Amino acid sequence: MKRRIFALLSAAVMVLPMTAMLTACGENDSILLRVYNWEEYIDEGGEGSYEYDYEVNEDGSAPSLVEDFEAWYEETYGTPVTVEYSTFGTNEDMYNQLKLGYTYDLLCPSEYMIMKLAAEDMLEPYSEDFFDESNELNYYVNNVSPFIKEKFDTNTMAVGDSEATWGEYAAGYMWGTTGLVYNPEFISEEQLEMGWELMLDESVAGKVTTKDNVRDSYFVGLAILFEDELLSLKAQHAAGELSDEDYTAQVTDYMNRTDEETVAKVQQILLEMKDNLFGFETDTGKHDMVVGNIWLNFAWSGDAVYAMDVAEDTEDGEGAVTLNYYIPEEAANLWFDGWVIPKDENRTPEVKHAAEAFVNFLSAPENAVRNSYYIGYTSVIAGDEMFAYMEDTYSAEDGDETAIDYDLGYFFGEGDYVISAPAEQAERQLFAQYPPVDTMLRCAVMDYYGENDERINELWTQIKGETLDAWAIAVICVAVVLIAGFAVYVKLGAKTDFFRPRPKKGFKLVAQEPVSYQR
Amino acid sequence: MKLRFSRKTLGIPYAVFLVCFVIIPMLVIVFYAFTDDEMHFSFVNFVKFFSDPTKLSTIVYSLVIALLSTAITLVIAYPVAYILARSKMQKKYVLLLLFVTPMWINFVLRVNALREILAWAGMLGEANYFNTILGMVCDFLPFMILPLYTTISKIDPSLYEASADLGGNGFTTFTRVTVPLSMPGILSGVTMVFLPSMTNYVVSDMLGNSKVTIIGKFIETYFGTDWHMGSMIALILLVIVLASTLLTGGFQSENNARGANL
Repeated sequence: MKRRIFALLSAAVMVLPMTAMLTACGENDSILLRVYNWEEYIDEGGEGSYEYDYEVNEDGSAPSLVEDFEAWYEETYGTPVTVEYSTFGTNEDMYNQLKLGYTYDLLCPSEYMIMKLAAEDMLEPYSEDFFDESNELNYYVNNVSPFIKEKFDTNTMAVGDSEATWGEYAAGYMWGTTGLVYNPEFISEEQLEMGWELMLDESVAGKVTTKDNVRDSYFVGLAILFEDELLSLKAQHAAGELSDEDYTAQVTDYMNRTDEETVAKVQQILLEMKDNLFGFETDTGKHDMVVGNIWLNFAWSGDAVYAMDVAEDTEDGEGAVTLNYYIPEEAANLWFDGWVIPKDENRTPEVKHAAEAFVNFLSAPENAVRNSYYIGYTSVIAGDEMFAYMEDTYSAEDGDETAIDYDLGYFFGEGDYVISAPAEQAERQLFAQYPPVDTMLRCAVMDYYGENDERINELWTQIKGETLDAWAIAVICVAVVLIAGFAVYVKLGAKTDFFRPRPKKGFKLVAQEPVSYQR
Repeated sequence: MKLRFSRKTLGIPYAVFLVCFVIIPMLVIVFYAFTDDEMHFSFVNFVKFFSDPTKLSTIVYSLVIALLSTAITLVIAYPVAYILARSKMQKKYVLLLLFVTPMWINFVLRVNALREILAWAGMLGEANYFNTILGMVCDFLPFMILPLYTTISKIDPSLYEASADLGGNGFTTFTRVTVPLSMPGILSGVTMVFLPSMTNYVVSDMLGNSKVTIIGKFIETYFGTDWHMGSMIALILLVIVLASTLLTGGFQSENNARGANL
């Protein structure tokens, strides 16, 4: 037996360097692409995958999009590629990771983080080839929604000391809005008309949540603070006094104010809101909505779709809850996550090509559909496959007389992009995925706060922290010092042992005198 | 050829571990705490911390929450450990196991389960501070029971007899024999419950709906945006815990630890 183990061991020792050599050879030819994405933000294959309903591997598993990309790249360009795929939980985590010196070829941060990275000159622009529409392998430029493209081409951001459009440095991935998920059983139309201010209202006290992060909550605070101004802009736009572009631009201007006075006012609003809240949440809001712990939940549109799906979809139909999504009249946030290429001096052109190909592969409509299905968020990719998928998901049944025409032309471009959907979809999943074009006008992108970043973060400390009166702090500090002083005294000075039995009253400790034996 | 190990050699792995994962990170924290964005030496974070009433209030709240959690845990755990240690019950190991098994279940799962129970009882969102303390107590109870059980069960029974012989009744025996001799266990348990209760923000987030902020949450938030302030708060917390450990004599208990250290 012993001899056999030895033989096995020596065989292993001999084989190991060989495999190492083999992999080394493989790595020389193949390109290593390091992709850093949000957790659960790509079709990872398996049972939750769209593919699972259609085609599966021989062993019954569905391939992930990353695996498919590796196969596709080698087939298309003849070079093998290995994707090193890792994930992050928050934009800040990702940023810290970059600052610690980790290098990647492709990142997927949110819009404000893209702006921050650009401002710090950490991004590399896409190559000219990437924008060549005549190349049919350039799925991104050929399929991106005209609505998103317009946003990316007209908005600019600081790149180091100069300016550039978003589109030069970023390719969109998923997008959406923020709004309120509500339970119509408890929240009436009149209440909704209050807009964002409803979150401060007594009628929902203890039944409303907001996000446990400063950017989202600050946005709500701004919308409440500038309610009158925003509504008057809306009225001006409705009266035709304000063009679509000006309306969006002015709303965006209000929603990006970070001057000291505004921040102080928002702080008051948010402190007031805190008393009215059930709590702050990052992930539990969906569940709390579904089980009825809360009635109103500030939500990202993708989460809203998920919550609505889960709430109405119980096994036997029992306990199903209808939830709706609402975008208040004042303003809402338009957010997106996009692919960017961080600067890396050692990156070869081949790797950059593979990075751009990765974005293009994800942008191929059939893959975008797979991703949307898996993640539940809305892709920036338009195209007929995507429209067909949406039609498949949301179309009203034949003969449904209440069906409404839901126009997605603004997103999918020219052509007949109208879904005949059940009326309720106008305030439910379809609405959350693609709000109508006039709603989108009041959706503002929130920029990176730049030098005011610290002020906003400090505001969050003040909102989240506990408050005690100054005298209470003083009393407690004095008490702590006294206790500490007493402890030190006991320890060093008196050497009192509290637990050592001492004689009861009435008894006297008689010191034993040395007995002298004189005789 | 014979390899010889002296006792000192056996300590090398631990020394390496200590340097890599305790000392170096600690130095990094001190470095970050006393530098500003440009990495220049500065007291700015120290001043900022102690001049902000909100941060001070938060640390005071954390202290109170942690003290209450520790006290309640001790009050619950001591009788349990005492009964378990002194009973001659056949099945006491099963009972002990029942108290300890929760430690083996994933922590997040336990907190989630507790959240559901609180929601069912209608307390979720109603009594955030109470829920937070309850969560801490539920979570850290085993850490208190185990060291207490070990120390109490190692007290020589003849000491109780001696106490009885000298006329001590049950109560006197308890206060003058059991409690003093189980002091190492109490200290060990208190230390193991107190510090996590100040930093375990998962409990305050899940059960206090993030409306309760303990100092650990601040450290987490600041490490997203400002490592220097985050390090400073971590350092201040460290000093507080170190001071309280020194004061309670946690470092002197080695002589009579009686296996209290897990």
